Amino acid sequence: MENNELQKIWKSLDTEINQKSKEELNLLLTSKAKQTINKFLSIIMISIIVCVGVLVYLTITSLNRKDDLIYLINNVTIGIVTILALLSGFFSWYKIQNNEYDQPLKNWLEVRISLLSQGLTGRFSKLYLFLIPFLYVLIVLSIHVYFEYKPFIDVLKTEESIIALIVGAPIGIFVSYYGARKIRKYQFRNLEFLKDLHGRVCNMR
Amino acid sequence: MKRLNMKSTKEEFLEILSNYQGILYKVSLIYFKNASDRGDNFQEIVYQLWKSFPKLQNKNSIGSWVYAVSINTSISRIKRVSRIEYRETLPEVPDTSNIIDEISKNESLELLLNAIYNLDDIDKSIMLLYLDEKSYDEIAEIIGISKSNVGVRINRAKEFLKQNIKN
Repeated sequence: MENNELQKIWKSLDTEINQKSKEELNLLLTSKAKQTINKFLSIIMISIIVCVGVLVYLTITSLNRKDDLIYLINNVTIGIVTILALLSGFFSWYKIQNNEYDQPLKNWLEVRISLLSQGLTGRFSKLYLFLIPFLYVLIVLSIHVYFEYKPFIDVLKTEESIIALIVGAPIGIFVSYYGARKIRKYQFRNLEFLKDLHGRVCNMR
Repeated sequence: MKRLNMKSTKEEFLEILSNYQGILYKVSLIYFKNASDRGDNFQEIVYQLWKSFPKLQNKNSIGSWVYAVSINTSISRIKRVSRIEYRETLPEVPDTSNIIDEISKNESLELLLNAIYNLDDIDKSIMLLYLDEKSYDEIAEIIGISKSNVGVRINRAKEFLKQNIKN
């Protein structure tokens, strides 16, 4: 088989492609843009609604328990972590969406690898593994203590609270830790995939 | 005035897209076997091209820009699609996106395409550019590797394709 034989065969593909009209291409672009905007808005709206809901709950319960200092500290901590999580979530989403595809494949892979590596191996990369279970315990405590109508310390001293903490907390911590770990593992697999491709571009493998 | 500019920009973009859509078809074809995945990928590339269109400075290298965005977008989708395919065991969706409905009638092309599917993801792009008669310089620019490396990889992949087609 001649070398340019392959190119001749491939060229025959040109006659088999059904070209789309400009109107069809415009429709494709418009529907994709709408899909992306709707997805963006729904993510933003859900995050904001959840965040505002948590903050409203924290404000109301804190006002009703303004004499209980430990309860207030617990709620303020939840509030700060919730706002930080919302902001960092938006920031990560923005970074992912601003993926610049108009560069050589090798450069693009390097940018993606660096971005993912920063998130997975950077200074605060493991923070959310512990932050999610920690936040879970604080929220459970906040709800439990509020509906017991007693001060924070007194509630924690009751037998049922101790049993609930001993049984419930480890299960909740395990589930939230497991969930966070699974996401992390998935991201690591993506990173490995990109590194593998980069290795092949550089002809190292 | 701004709206008018936007409109003319979009018209210019659609004009370019219309002229270069063959690239989008071919890149989607070599990376995705399933017609519906190809259709989704085609649409995603159109969107990514539109997003990066304002940054397109050199109107003389539109082809390279279309190839780069198409290849990078497709590669970023391979892993996601393969994960979905692994989970779903649904039968293949019939080709309704009119991408290439006559391909099975062209036996040589089908053989070549099947051989391309067996190449690794990077060599697929390099061979696509080679088969589309791009120069080594252009291929090196789009992939981001040296010209000599392009030559070595093309020779290796060509041999692989020939062997595959023969068998």
